[in-house]
Amino acid sequence: MKPAPFRYYRAGSLPQALELLNGAAEGGKLLAGGQSLVPLMNLRLARPEALIDLNPIRELSYIRSENGEIAIGALTRHREMEFSALIARELPVLGAVMPQIGHPAIRNRGTLGGSLAHADPAAELPCVLTALDAKLIMVGSSGERVARAEDFFIGTYTTTLSDHEILKEARIPLTEANAGWSFLEFSRRHGDFALAETAVLLFTKDGRASARVVVGGSVDRPLRVRSVETLLENELARNSNSIENLLPEIERLTVSEVQNSEAAREDSEYLRNLTGVLARRAVKEAVDRWSQP
Amino acid sequence: MNSPWTGKAVHPREDRRFVTGRGQYLPNVSFPKMLHAAILRSIHPHARIVSIDVTEAQKFPGVACVLTGEQATQMSRPLRSLIPLPVEVPYYCLAYEKARYVGEPVAAVAATNRYVAEDALEKIRVEYEPLPAAVDPEASMKPGAPLLFEPLGSNLLWHDCFNYGEVDEVFRQAAHVVRERFLIQRYSSTPLETFGCIAAYDPSRPYLTLWTNDQRPGQAMPIIAHSLGLAHTQIRFINSDIGGGFGNKRKPPYLVLAAVLSKLSGRPVQFIEDRRENLMALVHACNGAMDLEVAVSEDGQLLGLKVRDIADEGANVLNPTVHSLLKLGNITNCYTIRAVQFDGYSVMTNKCPSGANRGIGKPFMCFALERMVDEVARRLGKDRIELRRQNLVSPESMPHTSPTGSFIDSGNFPETLNKLVALIGYDSFQQEQAKARTEGRWLGLGLALAVEPSTSNQSSYILTTKKRTASGAAEAAMVRVESDGSVQVVLGDVGSGQGHQTAAAQIVADELGVDFERVHVSPYFDSLVSPWLYTTGNYSNKFSGTDVGAIQGAARKVREKIITLAAHLLSLPPQELELADGAARSKKEPHNRKTLEELAHVAYRDLLALPPDMEPALEGRFYYRPAIANLPDEQRRVRNQLFVSNAGHAAVVEVDIETGKISILKYAIVHDCGTVLNPVIVEGLVHGATAHGIGAALYEEFVYDEQGQLLTTTFVDYLKPTAVEVPDFKTDHLESPSPFTPLGMKGVGEGGAIPAPAALVNAVENALEPLGVRFSDLPLTPERVWQAIRLARTK
Amino acid sequence: MEPTVSPPGPLKLSLRVNGVSYVGEVEPRKTLADFLREDLGFTGVNLGCEHGVCGACSILLDGAVVRSCILLAVQADGSEIATIEGLAQSERLHPVQQAFLEHHALQCGFCTPGMVMAAIDLLTRVRSPTEPQIREALSGNLCMCTGYTNIVRAVRAAAEETATSPKHE
Repeated sequence: MKPAPFRYYRAGSLPQALELLNGAAEGGKLLAGGQSLVPLMNLRLARPEALIDLNPIRELSYIRSENGEIAIGALTRHREMEFSALIARELPVLGAVMPQIGHPAIRNRGTLGGSLAHADPAAELPCVLTALDAKLIMVGSSGERVARAEDFFIGTYTTTLSDHEILKEARIPLTEANAGWSFLEFSRRHGDFALAETAVLLFTKDGRASARVVVGGSVDRPLRVRSVETLLENELARNSNSIENLLPEIERLTVSEVQNSEAAREDSEYLRNLTGVLARRAVKEAVDRWSQP
Repeated sequence: MNSPWTGKAVHPREDRRFVTGRGQYLPNVSFPKMLHAAILRSIHPHARIVSIDVTEAQKFPGVACVLTGEQATQMSRPLRSLIPLPVEVPYYCLAYEKARYVGEPVAAVAATNRYVAEDALEKIRVEYEPLPAAVDPEASMKPGAPLLFEPLGSNLLWHDCFNYGEVDEVFRQAAHVVRERFLIQRYSSTPLETFGCIAAYDPSRPYLTLWTNDQRPGQAMPIIAHSLGLAHTQIRFINSDIGGGFGNKRKPPYLVLAAVLSKLSGRPVQFIEDRRENLMALVHACNGAMDLEVAVSEDGQLLGLKVRDIADEGANVLNPTVHSLLKLGNITNCYTIRAVQFDGYSVMTNKCPSGANRGIGKPFMCFALERMVDEVARRLGKDRIELRRQNLVSPESMPHTSPTGSFIDSGNFPETLNKLVALIGYDSFQQEQAKARTEGRWLGLGLALAVEPSTSNQSSYILTTKKRTASGAAEAAMVRVESDGSVQVVLGDVGSGQGHQTAAAQIVADELGVDFERVHVSPYFDSLVSPWLYTTGNYSNKFSGTDVGAIQGAARKVREKIITLAAHLLSLPPQELELADGAARSKKEPHNRKTLEELAHVAYRDLLALPPDMEPALEGRFYYRPAIANLPDEQRRVRNQLFVSNAGHAAVVEVDIETGKISILKYAIVHDCGTVLNPVIVEGLVHGATAHGIGAALYEEFVYDEQGQLLTTTFVDYLKPTAVEVPDFKTDHLESPSPFTPLGMKGVGEGGAIPAPAALVNAVENALEPLGVRFSDLPLTPERVWQAIRLARTK
Repeated sequence: MEPTVSPPGPLKLSLRVNGVSYVGEVEPRKTLADFLREDLGFTGVNLGCEHGVCGACSILLDGAVVRSCILLAVQADGSEIATIEGLAQSERLHPVQQAFLEHHALQCGFCTPGMVMAAIDLLTRVRSPTEPQIREALSGNLCMCTGYTNIVRAVRAAAEETATSPKHE
């Protein structure tokens, strides 16, 4: 189980990486944490002709608070996010998701950008960043562009990132205090990719209750469950404390949205059911947090 | 004999090498000019090999040689099946003419390193003509099924129906007959170190040296010698540290393959499976189906069994029927069932060859039996503990011979059950369960009891082979007091993580009255140095049954000689001497002594001080065979394995009925392996085997699709339990010594793997009792559990 | 740093392993595990799966546990690596190694080097881990022999030992 030969390039900076990507290493793969790519190469299921190693670009590793947003560099390792006091304080849902990703050895190498660009539908970060309404900054030879996470993921292992672009940063807006949140995942074993996952975020925006409910696993990309979001927003706007009664409806709506979505991965009743159950439980947990700050 | 060392919790001395990274595992062995082999494997479950073009691969830089099945037929003979077949089948180290499972070796390359070897594999062009595959074992044994070996005319390798006792009579008189069908999946223990070997062929003698982690040298040697046309004296076989075995590490075809590549290239050749190869092609435990009928009296006495058992052997034509025989031998488990009909089938399919795996057959036996006992209790409205208690073989009736001839030498099954019930908190559980149900939590308690027989009696294979190719059981050891008085021990069975070196040193230290630290036990098996015979190797939990006797026997030979020599030198009668504190001394006047060093000085150097008729040196070899091994009698009863430990497992689980997730909240193990030589080792083996059982119950499954494609070829798809999934174990022990082993010890390595699946499934069913959910197959994946719950709710 | 262009042939590499500097050349596709085993002789780095699941090849790379089978050797250029062979100081074992011995936290020993590394990674981050934290930290390392119970006990003991004694190293 050894990788096929490839050309190896080491990028010391972002401009250098772009230069390689558009020149000597055109058509090559970007190597970030390598925790998904290298196993595939060892199995010879991936056989890039060239690799551009981005790991030396340390200036893309940071977590900072800027203009009401948390900016995270694409080469920030999972472990840095897991142990970041800033994330724990400002983005508790992201803080909570980190220990559920793989295992310590994976998190010591895995990077935010690598995980997002790989776009495994069963991964945690695409789901939670979609819920957080992150903006993803991509750079190409003609400059930067920005995409919202929910537009970035377009299918299994597929994003809008082109072969000539590099993901540079994620910017996550800080939601208002008093937010409710939850992230629940179901996997066969601890640390495995999710069979189903749900991220829920409740917050007030411009004085109005806002909800984001995103599911993953059973769909080929993070899916916003808009019917549930609307239901929750209306209910919270009424300052109602009777979410309990809505829970079965939330589960039903989730299952039905997944089933009717073009993003549904396979016709699996079990996975749909699982997604509905998790959505219901996550909403409950988020609402409990919301009402007991 | 003083026994300051036996029974003591000595920390396994092997551990120090391993915690410092100094294990001499096969992948760490290397030779100058050594080549690395890689194997091209069939992508088809079943296909005719139309042509193989190796021209490009042969020319590839770094490649020393390429081998195809066709060449293999010219350089080796077919591997000889251990069961008689009507005609010889072309089972070579590489597929010849046909590929019979996904992952079957089709061609091989030896190159300067494994990277290059894998590159070269991609240059080999194979033209296949895909054939329909036999996948389902029951369909596979019917006429018209695609045949793996056409000359055999059938995929059915073996079928026999055994009747023990008055089966028909018992069933006629039974108040109740309960029938159930049970299924078991393919799984495997997947040792963390994969299979490997290095072959160095010297054509000038000719002579073959093999370094390997194959755990059964005694059986591998004759197979290899026959295939390569070598005398046994032309093969040297070496084991060093083995990174786990569990029965899986036995693969003569790979040894032959490496030897042929070495012969072709003129250089040593190393082959190490990668994990994908290990999962697709080393060995799987048989999947299978068992139709079980039990005859029960009005008051709950289990009277008789009718069993129809189908074992799916995959493409195993080398050593099939092992699972079947072990199910047959132990089919009454720990119960006083009087009559048994066993209708057994061993069937080939286009899947990975089956073979030995922790517990072999017995996990399925126990799964079916212990699930059935719960079912009988339910149908009769009896308590499942009481029903078991009523049917257990009693300690007073030991030794007990089962209808199939199995010999339960010792044990206190009711006490195992009592301790288990106490340890798991059975009596308070019902309340806990009722309370949890009011909170919407589904808790369940399940338990299972199991016999854990050890030490294969080779005679049992006569039932399937109809030939006396081997009989009995044995192992060998050598003990030698070196000329400085230190003690060297060489074992036939070096083990693969079971602490054999520590246990052997404990035994020898006591026999020779020396300090444990003075005894060195070699971690190597080397056929030039180590005493061995056909039964030599690490399998069947046999350390306690044969190895201990060999170690003790060898030590006693040396002991006797030491005493004779010391008596001569001290001018004392031998019976007045004892061995203690590293010396032979007078029992009455302990200061009147000769140290081992002084005696060894005489035995090896000052030879004229020896008694005139005494052979120099202080060395003893011993081949021990347990006296209780027998041959099948006229009724075809045989002692299948010779010494019987037992275990009881109980689990408390919680089932999330919305997701199907099972959480193990509590796990209790009561184990009885007779005299405990080293509690540290025993405890570790009990834990480890149980984790294997948990894996089989909840996580592990080799999945083949309907066409015979294997879908689980990495550790991402084939799921092993991790530290998060395996619970902390509560353990308790009984010691019912065997009257038939030298120290009263019995086997310990399999006891966890056998009852765990049954205990867990019983627990899940107990949790879901109000829904009436039943499971007949494994593993209990969340999806399977959820589907079953849904089915039960819609009924 | 200049972009390093590899084709064809090996790349220069310098790194420290267990406190000793090595300078050498390596083919870009060679994994760090193979480089450590074959080129430098650190055979305590075991290969159990080669696809980043079993953890047997775990080492410390700049102090953090990583799987060396899914890192390229060239990626370790300039780094500081610790393998199982470098933990003991002459006869004195690292507290985690010592605890593994005392609790018989191993059988065949093949997973042990990786397990020890995972445990060290945990104990450098969490001084007094709870049992669930220990199990989570070890969950990327498969053991086929022990059922993990003794390993968890050993790590707990090592944590107590290191928490109460002066710092090792």
